Amino acid sequence: MNSMPHEFVLGGIYMPPLLVAALLGVVAAVATTRALNRYRLSRYFAYPPLVQLSLAVIYTVVIGTLFIKV
Amino acid sequence: MILSRTAKESLKTALALVIAYAIALSMDWDRPYWAGFAVAFVSLSSIGQSLNKAALRMAGTLLAVPMAFLLLALFPQERWLFMLGLSLWVGFCTYMAGVAERQYFWICAGFICALICIDAGPGGVNAFDIAILRAQETGLGILVYSLVASLLWPVRSGQQLDASVQQYMAAEKAFYHATHDQLLGRASAADVQEKLEQGLQAQRQFAALLAAATADTFEVWESKQAWQAFQQQSAAVSRSLSLWRGSLAGLGEVEFRQVVPGLDQAGIKLEQRFSDIQAMLGDAAYAASLSPIELTVDREQARALPPFQQAELAAAAERWRELESGTRQLFQCVAALQGQIEAPEPPAAAPAGKRALVIDIERLGGAISVMAAMWIAYLAWIYVPDLPGGSSVVMMSAPLGMNLALMPQLPVIKMLKPLMLSVLAAGLIYIFIMPQLSTFLGLGLLLFIFTFAVTYLFAAPEQALGKAFGLVLFLAIASISNDQTYSFLVVSTNALVMPILVLILLIAEQIPRSPLPEKNFQRLLARYFRSSEALLAAIGRQATGSAPDRQYARHVYEIQTLPKKLRAWTRVMPPQLLPGGKPTAIADVVTDIEVLSLRLNDLMKADAQALPPPLIEAMAAEFRAWHQEILGIFRRLSKDPGAIDQSSFRAGLDRATVHMEDRIRQILDRPDRIRLNEEQGVDFLQLLAAYRGFAGALAEYAGSATAIDWPSWREERFA
Repeated sequence: MNSMPHEFVLGGIYMPPLLVAALLGVVAAVATTRALNRYRLSRYFAYPPLVQLSLAVIYTVVIGTLFIKV
Repeated sequence: MILSRTAKESLKTALALVIAYAIALSMDWDRPYWAGFAVAFVSLSSIGQSLNKAALRMAGTLLAVPMAFLLLALFPQERWLFMLGLSLWVGFCTYMAGVAERQYFWICAGFICALICIDAGPGGVNAFDIAILRAQETGLGILVYSLVASLLWPVRSGQQLDASVQQYMAAEKAFYHATHDQLLGRASAADVQEKLEQGLQAQRQFAALLAAATADTFEVWESKQAWQAFQQQSAAVSRSLSLWRGSLAGLGEVEFRQVVPGLDQAGIKLEQRFSDIQAMLGDAAYAASLSPIELTVDREQARALPPFQQAELAAAAERWRELESGTRQLFQCVAALQGQIEAPEPPAAAPAGKRALVIDIERLGGAISVMAAMWIAYLAWIYVPDLPGGSSVVMMSAPLGMNLALMPQLPVIKMLKPLMLSVLAAGLIYIFIMPQLSTFLGLGLLLFIFTFAVTYLFAAPEQALGKAFGLVLFLAIASISNDQTYSFLVVSTNALVMPILVLILLIAEQIPRSPLPEKNFQRLLARYFRSSEALLAAIGRQATGSAPDRQYARHVYEIQTLPKKLRAWTRVMPPQLLPGGKPTAIADVVTDIEVLSLRLNDLMKADAQALPPPLIEAMAAEFRAWHQEILGIFRRLSKDPGAIDQSSFRAGLDRATVHMEDRIRQILDRPDRIRLNEEQGVDFLQLLAAYRGFAGALAEYAGSATAIDWPSWREERFA
């Protein structure tokens, strides 16, 4: 039963699990890109905006699969 | 109790908004917030400014309405063609809005058309009602605000105009003083640049206030031709000042002051002339005499100098005389404005020749970005099931996208915070306060207090974004109507729409190019050098009197406009990319680019045709070698802005100068020597000054460019 998708309730407002996973995914992607900028690792990417988008999608899928159960 | 100016302006806006709502509701008009939007957006610091903006908003609406009908009539039930037409129109308006004049007209013509079209949908059943309602409510808001602003504490721009024109003239005088100090080594190039910026800012403020004062102050309207003549002449003086400053780069302090012994005295007289102009503008009864200021050159000493220095000195002296003549005409304009003399004859207008159409690449990029934002929003609306906000995402992508396209230096992400805070504030009032109200008295009081608070707290020009978002989102979320309903979904949907919009705009700003400041700076710089290279290659090829070649016209346009665009990007450059974290070095690079533009302009104007052909033939090999060398340098600079080393370039330049001077002496001293009359002598000196000045400016650029770590600027990074 635990692996069933379930909505998040915040003060009586129901939010879809994908929305929460996406929000966390974006936050994780932003944190990662900040770190990559900080250590000048971003120079190894040909097109950083696409990397940022891809990271957000990957994190959303990982968080949604492993933690939130979308 | 004495109210501050900000408090009075906020009271006027709040009162006008409440009256507009009261009328719209009493007439039972749907969506009274459109009247509220009109009030919120046209309220400015004086009646004239507000009236001008109101006229532009109304005219934009009146163009948007038939355009929306046309699009709906052309593409009924054709969603792709409909969106193609709509996005092209909004893109066109964004492109046109890139010109400062009538910018707001094009913004309104674009986004209001998008609002009507999307609101009506491709079916267009309610299009007519929506368009008429929008036009009449915009008219209502404008009318109400204009009346309130005219009757309650009216602030006429004429009062501000006097102060502004004084400030403008003071800034011009200070700029001249700084150039004089720079010549004496008492001021740095950065000080002069600062004074130049202050002058430009004062000029822009004066232009805006003159337009406003013509609309709201009878005395200014009555003498508007004299004011326009003053404006044109003062702009000409500003241009002469920039050219004079540009001519200083290649001059040594000692030579110029030795050869022009009366420079200091002449400078004092010129500054006194600026002071006289200021005094005349402040007091119509002030009388000052006008006599030409002579700048005498010691010919004996000048002849003793090497040819290139002679040329530089002659060019600088000529610039100074142009400046003096410009200020003399400005003095006459002011005397005419104050009724002391008859208005001088306006200069004969240049014949309007054929002008080549030049596309501004930056403005085109902005238009493409807006179109991309609208398409992403439209596709999301169609293909994402139950997209929060639905059509309103598409509607809002147009105005937000247009404003961002006009301010490409503003990072999109910075909009998220004011948007979300506005939704929060509006949501709290909508949920907790509005349901308690049952009469218009209470509602009107709430509208008044909220509008007053927002306009008062966000009164500064740099807070305009916060003021606009605060008022618009409150009015949109409150969605006040005669049959008022409340739903939490309105707030939650808006809270979700804002991040979605920001996400769409974040993607759209990558199209067609990166929004990163350093990438844009390098891109513009590369374009600048490519255009310089093309113009240099074209010198001499351009036949006089023929219709301008489109490519040539484009390069001239680029050289004239790119320095200003480069300057805008220096203000938002990340500190970690700048030496010492300060923008001084990059500002110096742009200053040198500006001087280079002036020098290139001199080179283009220098007329070799007037010189005796034998002289040109004798010097042809030297000129050709010089051209090839500089073309090669520009080619390298367009690929790498730090490609040339200043010391080796300067050494090469000095060697070339010595060689060329020897060659000139040889030609002029040989038995069959070429004789130049006085006019040809001046032309020859101008030509030499142009070449020498241009190469000198390039050497200065090479010096300032070495301070920047260009390889790190080329590295990719996340925004």
